[in-house]
Amino acid sequence: MSIINYASREIQFKIVYYGPALCGKTTNLSYIHQRINPVNRGDLVSLATAADRTLFFDFLPLNAVVIKGFVTKFQLYTVPGQVIYNATRQLVLRSSDGICFVADSQWEKMEENVESFKNLEENLAKQNVCIDDIPCVLQYNKRDLPNVAPVTYMEYVLNNRKKRLQSFEVISSTGQNVFAGLNAVSQILLHKFSKQSEASQTVAQPMTIPVTSPAPQNQGISA
Amino acid sequence: MNGIPVLTIEDVATLDGVLGDFLKKAEADMTVVIDRGGNVISQFGDHNVMDVTIIAALAAGSFAATRELARRIGEVEFNALYHQGNGSHMFMNSVDDDTIMITVFGRRTTVGLVRFYSTAAAHNVANLLKTLQRNGHGFEFTAADISAGPIFADPTS
Repeated sequence: MSIINYASREIQFKIVYYGPALCGKTTNLSYIHQRINPVNRGDLVSLATAADRTLFFDFLPLNAVVIKGFVTKFQLYTVPGQVIYNATRQLVLRSSDGICFVADSQWEKMEENVESFKNLEENLAKQNVCIDDIPCVLQYNKRDLPNVAPVTYMEYVLNNRKKRLQSFEVISSTGQNVFAGLNAVSQILLHKFSKQSEASQTVAQPMTIPVTSPAPQNQGISA
Repeated sequence: MNGIPVLTIEDVATLDGVLGDFLKKAEADMTVVIDRGGNVISQFGDHNVMDVTIIAALAAGSFAATRELARRIGEVEFNALYHQGNGSHMFMNSVDDDTIMITVFGRRTTVGLVRFYSTAAAHNVANLLKTLQRNGHGFEFTAADISAGPIFADPTS
């Protein structure tokens, strides 16, 4: 549940990075934390095991002025990707306003990607939310590795529904397209809540943003 | 359109009144009302020394995580949680199905006093939040109010 505070002129949104184990969700947040101006962010909180695997969640609060006259607070969370932590994923998903699904592009991880996306749909359904109704983008991560599946194949496997999601080729370790994905999901959710969106919101353009391209601004968003 | 619940300046003043009264009576340092997703709804007291946003996220997680423990002993959830430190302590209690109240306090008071006064404060906060939901005055903005261009910039690109 987002809430507006007129006294402090603040609005809060929650974005969750979801995906299978070791796909790069925490790396996404770490990169954002490293690169963003410290004035506009809080500390990166990581509840991890001794082996640096996410146990509960990672959390990064960001501030921006994107709606006239209001400070917009984006709270970025990751979920633990390991299958056994589904109860934790359900907790973290609660009250989320947007999703960034991070898929591992390696061939051998494809089954885990599919299972994780299905798990996301199931966990959203438990909160009476349909994946088509919540702002969501896809990241095809680790595009720098040699054994990656072609983007067309990943689109077929993960983005083959009536309402296709905007997708990004990402290398989270070097930060390529990390901000593009964050900006896209932020813009989609802001436009979802905007007054004019009711009449004009249409299906996102089914295009994938390649690693080499500059960050898109309003791709797939109808304002 | 999905309206977002709004706390008007009057709502915030009323909430501050309830929370301020509670802090004074309980002699606690700070109190924060959050939703169970970890969003801060309201805060009152000396919160300059800590990042309330992070406390809210962690407290929501902590509260939710103990739900399963509660189920094991036949409860739906624990209504209150207490974390005891050496000098600073934290007390969390359920306000309603969507909301939690967190109170940070030190040596000036006791957990019993905080617990005692927090029950009435939580009840008052719950009533106020019900009014908000009933009034349903959702916040509205247009696409023109949203800044064009990337919201977050990567300085290296």
